[in-house]
Amino acid sequence: MNELPSAPETPHLSQSIAVPLGSNPAEQRPIGTVVAAAEAILREPRRVMYHLHNSSPARLIWAMLLIAAFCGLLYGLVAGTFSGKEQLWAAPVKIVVGLLISGLICLPSLYIFSCLSGSPARLTEVLGFLAALLALSAVLLIGFAPVAWIFSASTESLTAMGALHLGFWIIATSFGLRFLYAAFATLNPKSVVGIRVWALIFVLVQLQMMTAIRPILGRSESFLPTQKKFFVAHWLDCLGNSVRGDARSTARD
Amino acid sequence: MEPRSATLSLSEMPVLLRGEAAPIHRWIDQWSNSRALCLVLMTIIGTALFGAAVGSWRDALQAGYTALKFPLLILLTTLGTALLNGMLAPLLGLNIRFSQSLLAVLLSFTIFAMIVGSFSPLMFFLIWNTPPMQSAQTATAYRSVLLVQVAIIAFAGIAANVRLLQLLEHLSGKRSVAFKILFAWLAANLFLGSQLCWIMRPFIGSPGLPVQFLRPDAFRGNFYEAVFYSITTLLSQKN
Repeated sequence: MNELPSAPETPHLSQSIAVPLGSNPAEQRPIGTVVAAAEAILREPRRVMYHLHNSSPARLIWAMLLIAAFCGLLYGLVAGTFSGKEQLWAAPVKIVVGLLISGLICLPSLYIFSCLSGSPARLTEVLGFLAALLALSAVLLIGFAPVAWIFSASTESLTAMGALHLGFWIIATSFGLRFLYAAFATLNPKSVVGIRVWALIFVLVQLQMMTAIRPILGRSESFLPTQKKFFVAHWLDCLGNSVRGDARSTARD
Repeated sequence: MEPRSATLSLSEMPVLLRGEAAPIHRWIDQWSNSRALCLVLMTIIGTALFGAAVGSWRDALQAGYTALKFPLLILLTTLGTALLNGMLAPLLGLNIRFSQSLLAVLLSFTIFAMIVGSFSPLMFFLIWNTPPMQSAQTATAYRSVLLVQVAIIAFAGIAANVRLLQLLEHLSGKRSVAFKILFAWLAANLFLGSQLCWIMRPFIGSPGLPVQFLRPDAFRGNFYEAVFYSITTLLSQKN
């Protein structure tokens, strides 16, 4: 029986520090298309790291930003089905804009933290790592999209749906951050504390961004909120409203 | 024309942030006007961006004032303590020239400025999400802006001083000497810096007071008197 020639295996992400980038010829294969970039970020993260580190990575960075934007749009559409109507276009726009702007806000501090930790990464390389983080998170969100859609169709509670999307976002972002840590580890920094502190800042910015561009799930008369709130206060308000709503429906039953 | 090694371009700033001892040692050894100018410019840009972000919560005018005052505070502190710092270094065991000590302090302030500058988009984002001045939560908003500002400045200060300590250790070859000089320089900078902060207030701008470049009583009293007065008032209230 003829066996198909298999592509040489790339080392796992956990081997990032032990094995130098590009030591496996598979990692050096060019990433030509957007689809190839999406596949590489999932299956061969070290190949992405190699190309961000060694070649001129502008095309790859654009490809990953495009992946993040496209997947964000799709996931936003699914999130928008919960309320329907104008949220079908508002939610995708808000998710994509929020994702990209929060990345832009955090880019200067990521570069500074990278330098402070002793890593020799260039600004374009750091931008590439951030784009890969956003792309990987967004691609993973697409994986969750069918599940989210099923729940959207069958759930009425805004708070429950919010918690579900938050859970998916936490899982997707933690995989994105895992890629970022591994990418910086390949550059042999003196310390990783700075990158971990930055990760906390990034998570806080994204959580606040979700609140700043609300509503994403529910409906509102205005596109953006008129009242400014911190995300914890917003969550507590939502929880309070939900508990009051449940109490009223129980009383009716 | 100055040789290339004597200038400091933007692309060399990461070397400064990483604290690479050998090239920084070379920069310290050779005084260059263009390098000093580049460091001053980076300090001005970084601190002005952060100042604008901090002041923008109170008013656009306050943002402009703070963008002007924050770089001024840093540069005046550097210049005001330059002579003393230059004298303290040889007395504490590091025989460097005045220009070298000035450049070392300036380098650490440039690192500080680049860090706070990189946080300015985050600060703008925070201000954008903070309830405005006219709202009922003004006091909470003011305190949160103040807290975040202090946290960022503290982090940048610590990071800059760690790099300065590494540089001093490289120059002196002894950790104990480097520590002594760092503490002496820090004490001088903090002593003058606190008073300059007092004179140049407001930076964020208290919600109840008008937007001003300097308070009318800027040159009346000093920071330490105010701290002493606050402590005695607090103690007398308890009794």
